[in-house]
Amino acid sequence: MDMLASLLHTTPAIAWMALKVVIVFGGVMSLAAVWTWVERRGSAMIQDRIGPNRARLFGRWPILGLAQIAADGIKMFFKEDLVTTDANRRLFWLAPILAFVPALMGFAVIPFGKSFVSGGQTYHLALLDPGNGMGMLYPLAIGGMAVYGVLVAAWSSNNKWSILGGMRASAAMVSYEIGLSLAVISIFMTTGGYDPAEIIASQSHLPWKWNVVPQLPGFIVFFTCMFAETNRLPFDFAEGESEIVAGFNTEFGSMKFSLLALAEYSHLMTASALIATLYFGGWQVPFVKDPPVLLSVASFVLKLVFFAWVFVWIRWTLPRFRYDQLMHLGWKVMLPLSMANLVFHAWRMSQGH
Amino acid sequence: MGVIVMKVELSWLDRTYVWPVMKGMSITFQHFIKQLFTRTAKRYTIQYPDMKKEMPAGYRGLHELKRFEDGAIKCVACFMCEEACPARCISIQAEEFGDLNITQGFEEKRPAQFKIDMLRCIYCGMCEEACPKDAIWLRNDYEVAAYDRLSMQFGKWDLMNTYAEADGKDRISQDPTPSVPRRTIAM
Repeated sequence: MDMLASLLHTTPAIAWMALKVVIVFGGVMSLAAVWTWVERRGSAMIQDRIGPNRARLFGRWPILGLAQIAADGIKMFFKEDLVTTDANRRLFWLAPILAFVPALMGFAVIPFGKSFVSGGQTYHLALLDPGNGMGMLYPLAIGGMAVYGVLVAAWSSNNKWSILGGMRASAAMVSYEIGLSLAVISIFMTTGGYDPAEIIASQSHLPWKWNVVPQLPGFIVFFTCMFAETNRLPFDFAEGESEIVAGFNTEFGSMKFSLLALAEYSHLMTASALIATLYFGGWQVPFVKDPPVLLSVASFVLKLVFFAWVFVWIRWTLPRFRYDQLMHLGWKVMLPLSMANLVFHAWRMSQGH
Repeated sequence: MGVIVMKVELSWLDRTYVWPVMKGMSITFQHFIKQLFTRTAKRYTIQYPDMKKEMPAGYRGLHELKRFEDGAIKCVACFMCEEACPARCISIQAEEFGDLNITQGFEEKRPAQFKIDMLRCIYCGMCEEACPKDAIWLRNDYEVAAYDRLSMQFGKWDLMNTYAEADGKDRISQDPTPSVPRRTIAM
């Protein structure tokens, strides 16, 4: 441990930063890749099936079908990269990146562990140090950009169904973003700041002081809106087999499609990290006042994985909404609910002072 | 004529969506846990090449021509199955044979060739029903596939041996009694 600490002191700040980038983005990306497997195996078990279990590592070790990820990756990589003749080529190439990058970028501000002091210097376990002036607004802003990936993919394909899918996704995202923002604002209000470190610190280590307890309606709104944000099943209007073929990714194949799929899972990871940070105390360990750094990281990862699993779980439980039901839910239920939540907490704070 | 549509009145709790969603999630979670602690081999899915389905009695799969204990074919080449076959996939050529024995009764006719074109067969079981000697029947093997069309023409010995391994019998390729040349009628 001492050796590790001395190694840490001798590394320049830029190397520490690079290490964090590799760990965070590499971790999120590999977790997203694993989640393609979790989704398939989990859905299989929910539906009393078996799921992918036949792919073997080097044709020998079955390892629960985890080799399926590698097999899918290799297959996607070696497929022919088709671009339709009437597609807008430049945007067509750009779209998967536009979808993938914002999905990952949102993670940058989220602290994945307790900050620690070593050798007279504070090390923060988040890519952007706390007090950077963006705080929780940053992942929300980046999350709003995620719709560009879908929309550009839809537009550049030059395909009617793609465009319909993209339009539906963007409409859903716009209508849910308002409820989502209002839910988050009431957290900013009760916390008195929008820095994730402050939000986590204010939630303390006692589970009944986590934001989910006093702000249950806000949590429900936020959670629901995250499904609309990530375009996942109860609200997956960007796709629709029976109506608009495969929606925005109809024309995409090989690695481009793979990136679009991976973007969805990265987005899911970022969304569950946001839920864990805003409503479930981030890296706080329940009932442990001042947890060791590794324990706090483990706690955060556990919460992240749990919420990512809930995303999968809900996807295979609920049927999808109709489009008008989606709009009804977004504007007539979610928005008033988050507004009521905001007003209620404002009133409570005014009474408290 | 009208159809009465029964409207389901949702309770206040159901109209919040949150409670029914949680109920649904508990159901899926029960399934998940149940599957998680069930061994793969014991789940509902039959993993086909490794596991095979037990076919129910009366399943109509690949045909077998029955034989007596000494290996003589039960078929007497009466052409009933060929007549009954709706797909016209059976073709028989009859022959006479000598050395009558008791186990076979006093038959003196048997198929020299008994061909079934498995590509045309529709596995309807009409041949089994038509057979007066119960010499042909359809059993539970459903894996009838080959790499070329010619190997789907099953001859007499193929059909007599289709279930030889399954029943623990020897494969045979010869009749126990020789055939006799066609009698010429002296004028």
